[in-house]
Amino acid sequence: MTETLTGIDMSVRAPEDRFRARKVSTEVEARPLSAALPPPGRLNPAARKAYYFYLMAPAIALLAFISLYPFFWLIVMAFQKGDMGAVEWVGFKNFIDLASDDRFLSGWVLLFRYSAMCLFLQVSIGVLLAVVVNGSRYERFLVTALLMPMMMAPAVAGLLWLFLYNGTFGWYHWIFHSLGLLGSGSILSSAKTAMYAIVLVDVWQWTPLITLIALAGLKRVPRDQIEANMVDGASPFRNFFAIVLPNLYPVLLIAVLLRFMDNFRFIDHILVLTGGGPANATKILPVYLFEVAFKFFDLGRGAAIALVLLVVTIILGKILVGVFDRPTAGGR
Amino acid sequence: MASRDVVHYNTPLQRVLSVLSVVFVIFYLIWTLLPFVIMFVSSFKDLLEAFKLPAVGDWAGIGVFFEFTPTLKHYQTLFAENNFSRYMLNSLIAAGGSAVISVIFGSLAAYSLSRVDFRGKSDLFFWIISTRMAPVVAVMVPLFAIFRSLDLVGTLPGLILAYTTFNLPFAIWILKGFFDNVPYGIEEAQMVDGATRFQAFRSILPLVAPGIGAFIVLCILFAWNDFLFAAIIGSGGAKTLPVATRELVQPQNIQWGAIMAAGVVTTAPMMLLGLVIRKYLVTGLTMGAVKE
Repeated sequence: MTETLTGIDMSVRAPEDRFRARKVSTEVEARPLSAALPPPGRLNPAARKAYYFYLMAPAIALLAFISLYPFFWLIVMAFQKGDMGAVEWVGFKNFIDLASDDRFLSGWVLLFRYSAMCLFLQVSIGVLLAVVVNGSRYERFLVTALLMPMMMAPAVAGLLWLFLYNGTFGWYHWIFHSLGLLGSGSILSSAKTAMYAIVLVDVWQWTPLITLIALAGLKRVPRDQIEANMVDGASPFRNFFAIVLPNLYPVLLIAVLLRFMDNFRFIDHILVLTGGGPANATKILPVYLFEVAFKFFDLGRGAAIALVLLVVTIILGKILVGVFDRPTAGGR
Repeated sequence: MASRDVVHYNTPLQRVLSVLSVVFVIFYLIWTLLPFVIMFVSSFKDLLEAFKLPAVGDWAGIGVFFEFTPTLKHYQTLFAENNFSRYMLNSLIAAGGSAVISVIFGSLAAYSLSRVDFRGKSDLFFWIISTRMAPVVAVMVPLFAIFRSLDLVGTLPGLILAYTTFNLPFAIWILKGFFDNVPYGIEEAQMVDGATRFQAFRSILPLVAPGIGAFIVLCILFAWNDFLFAAIIGSGGAKTLPVATRELVQPQNIQWGAIMAAGVVTTAPMMLLGLVIRKYLVTGLTMGAVKE
């Protein structure tokens, strides 16, 4: 083997060939070096960072004016008492008062209870719906129908449901009453049931979002894994829990975090439906904040509550962005 | 998709499941669409007819719902007595204005953020996105104080600026994703051909145009549907549709017919827009985390 190889090797590297190659290369090396070319004047210079910063600047400046500047104002306001005209520095009093404020504390409890109920129902119904709708013959039609509630203004949705829940002429009240789920009083009038009423509205409006997210996730569940599992004799349930759900998990995490933060963000339907009542049963923290700041115009106290709420949101946001950045999450 | 039916279940359990799933979907559709049907139909009913319900437990009496003579009087009330055309214009200006501002500034920022790397970029990004996620009420407390000192409360420019607080970060965040998908090579090729840097940027705009168009619509949708900002910062001079609808609820006299009509007027245009940009809706509503 080695002999033949060397033989071939020798034949390829014929003496003249080697010689010619060297001759060419010496020629090139021997050529006098030309002076470095002057940079072409008409062409663009290399990308300068400054250029991009100029493009960015207007947006950043605008955003700073409407978010950063107010944020510092918020911090200042949280240490003040009274209105813009006559402000008085009170130090940490606003925060200390919060610690003994029952409504503030119960606002947190109610907020988490409300979110937990919403998320549990939305995720379980949403995923189930996505699994059923996925690959159905009518998928396009069904998805379009599901989109409808999300297009409605939450405040208008609240008003619509106020009509539907009405104790004398509401159709949903009639349905609940006829099914024996409810007495003759409206669902909104009792402190026991009012929370379920607002949860139902949120579930009505936003379950489809979870469904759409889950549907996008389902399209990416590897078919071969499912088939392998089926060939191994797994039942449909086993298949769902062993293959589909784990694959959906990253997308669902995003969905849950998004909805959780939206529960902090949107209180339109609660303001319209109950305004926090009856007997503060639906006064989740943002609703309480709205009341303190824009009904009683106690802006200092409101600012303290808002600051605490913002800090919690920022922590949640940090978690969410961490999930976004995971390569598996977006399927990028 | 081709391998869809290579392996499938054909057991009694599976058949029961598929029947159950059909039942579930039908129930869910009724639950989702019934409020719309009731809103739409009630807006054409006289109040006495709209309030008619069958006796409790009388399921056969559901037909009562369809017994009415259609009337347009609630819509006439809205536009003749309640000045709804004015509120509609307000909504349109506030939502459209903030959407256009957000997308113009946002696309410039998104483009440069997508093309340049610098220290602290991820922090800048987090600040941008956290602005979008902050609870509206919490943002509004200082914004209200500032706007009041600038006399912006109750004006359309104030409302446009307020909507920009959530639309601009949204636009930057989403559009950056779009620009990330456009290869830098295209701009380089343009510049080799003698285009300036800004001309190169303009040359890739057609590639992201459908996305930008869809996100103008989404920004309009978010702003149009807002209630809190409009109720506080727009109160007085810049009343928008959701606020005007809410004001039809008066302690003594809730004008249900007009409310249902106002609901239709507020919701219908957004529904049509939503269908137009359906393709981008999931991406938009999940802040770009999920792509369909």
